[in-house]
Amino acid sequence: MKRALIALFGGAIVLAGCGGNTAATNPSTGSANLPTPPGASLTGAGATFPQPFYAAAFFAYNKKFSQVTVNYQAVGSGAGIQQLTKKTVDFGASDVPLKSSEADAMGGSDKVVQLAGTLGTESLAYNLQGVGGGQLKLTPDTIAGIFLGMIKKWNDPALKADNSGISLPDQDIHVVHRSDGSGTTYIFSDYLSSVSSEWASKVGRGKSVSWPVGQGASGNAAVATTIKQTPGAIGYVELAYVLQTNMTQATLKNKDGNFVLPSAAGATAAAKQFAGASPSQFSIVNAPGRDSAPISGYSWLMLYKDQANKARGTAMVDLFYWLVTDGQQYATNLHYAALPGNMVSYDLAVLKSVTSGGTTLLSISS
Amino acid sequence: MSQGTAGRVAPKLVATSRQRPLISGDRLFRAIAYGAAALIMLIAAVFIVALFIPALPAITKFGLGFFVSRTWDPVRVQFGALPAIYGTLVTSAIALLIAFPVGMGAALFLAEDARLRLLRGPLSFAIELLAGIPSVVIGLWAFFILTPLMRDNVDPFLKQTLGFLPFFQGSASGYGFLTAGVVLAIMVLPIMIALSRDVIRAVPLALREASLALGATDAETIWSVVLPYARVGITGAVLLSLGRALGETIAVTMVIGNRPEISASLFSTGYTLPSVIANEFTEAVGNVYLGALFYLGLVLVVITIVVNVLARLLVWRFTGSEPTAA
Repeated sequence: MKRALIALFGGAIVLAGCGGNTAATNPSTGSANLPTPPGASLTGAGATFPQPFYAAAFFAYNKKFSQVTVNYQAVGSGAGIQQLTKKTVDFGASDVPLKSSEADAMGGSDKVVQLAGTLGTESLAYNLQGVGGGQLKLTPDTIAGIFLGMIKKWNDPALKADNSGISLPDQDIHVVHRSDGSGTTYIFSDYLSSVSSEWASKVGRGKSVSWPVGQGASGNAAVATTIKQTPGAIGYVELAYVLQTNMTQATLKNKDGNFVLPSAAGATAAAKQFAGASPSQFSIVNAPGRDSAPISGYSWLMLYKDQANKARGTAMVDLFYWLVTDGQQYATNLHYAALPGNMVSYDLAVLKSVTSGGTTLLSISS
Repeated sequence: MSQGTAGRVAPKLVATSRQRPLISGDRLFRAIAYGAAALIMLIAAVFIVALFIPALPAITKFGLGFFVSRTWDPVRVQFGALPAIYGTLVTSAIALLIAFPVGMGAALFLAEDARLRLLRGPLSFAIELLAGIPSVVIGLWAFFILTPLMRDNVDPFLKQTLGFLPFFQGSASGYGFLTAGVVLAIMVLPIMIALSRDVIRAVPLALREASLALGATDAETIWSVVLPYARVGITGAVLLSLGRALGETIAVTMVIGNRPEISASLFSTGYTLPSVIANEFTEAVGNVYLGALFYLGLVLVVITIVVNVLARLLVWRFTGSEPTAA
């Protein structure tokens, strides 16, 4: 709720003082040739993770083109996919692209298209007396050790080895994770699977997993609060929540061996390392590169390739065209990362493939 | 839940209507009443079927092994209900253990003690207030206030005094069976008190007077006349409380720790059937996963029915008469 409000205000402020901050947009797609959409009232449903960004961006788009209103319901990726399958919404959103079985339920993978809407990263937040934000250094090995339940105390030798500068107490580590199915959990378990073969074989990746240790809380906000009020707690939380609620977060060692504090810029840096990223190759965790934030991931939008209603379809591709180009400016304010150029190009190619009655809907040639 | 009242009213209705010929108004009324009764049966049947059909993929895959499996692994699509069944029963049991003595005390005070009449109004008001608080608000309070209190004060105290019992061992985070049980106790107390108070008040005055006239003290009268007479009604109050405790979702989810775990320690985190469903249904992708959640729903319904039947049998044995739920 608080976050949604911040999102709305953030959007309004950016709009009021708006210039042409075209963060990471393709240079050939300035706002000059932004298409004017036909009037339409669009509905979408899906992931909670990108909701604050979508709310702010769709609000701003409505200010720009009042004939287009967008109602996005953050009911969860699974419910969003089901509603799109039943065609009760115009578009769906999910942090994990469609599985082939899900695409088949929509008529086959050639009937539905997916594009990246935004990019986010996760932090490891902790509650440790006397250890401030950024002071705790974690490596892929210690993170996996903690979440596998093998590192049980804060003064474990493995943790001490990386943190010679601070005094770690003789205290139980209290792991907190998401209890509800979430893209956040998918990205984190994807990261653990890529850095730890033991995690990959014992637990694996998924929106819900069988946690070897710890307690569950429902939603980012509850995880954040549980960590804040439980001494010795650690958990993975979206960057935006960490920054908005002033939580202490750990510095993470990335694949290149650098310790980085997770940031939106770090997520973009990580995403740039995967030039060929697409819905079928969507994982960008444990990225190489000096500044890469290691626990990052895209969030996806999905719509039918052939739109039954031409006006609605046109309004939707125009909206998404704006969202992945100019609209990205609303992402950074809310601590989401701007899409890298390669993904913007991918998205635009996807939008161009959307048709209605055989006619391409996007009127932009770039 | 309201069969009790219906059971009491219905025979009277039939008896009077048989004494004189049916006029059209009576007939209409009877048709409406029968229709309403049939509708309830229909809704219940449709409900069970609607749970059963989506649960089928999980039922065919896991069968009855679902009830004894401790695995809950969405990644490998392996599901078992035992930890959630255990958590549901344990938290409800804790709730009743706490709520029953407190509830009886309060009900007796409200119904019996005439000396502190001034206090009755505020107490009744407090009970109604407590009953009216939405569970999510109680959950919020428990999450922010009760869990730190349990972790820093109650749990260490229990560990110190009763730590030799397996129930009070291990590290306490404030989240877990005990905290969830306490929250449930608070939530079922209003039902327990209000219903018990009413059945205790319904004990005929003549019986009390007879007991007192025979020289029994107040306490003896309550113990050997009032409570035995009200036993069936009190059982009903406990049953309704149990029903509420078994099904309560949001407040429990906020404090139980949401971990499919079976542990003797009440400080341990756990999971309950409604909590699993509430947590996971939005992202439960795939027929078997979603089916497993519906299967959990069926299990919850079955547990509720079994508990009700057991309690009814118990009452039958004691009283030899058909019990009324409320």
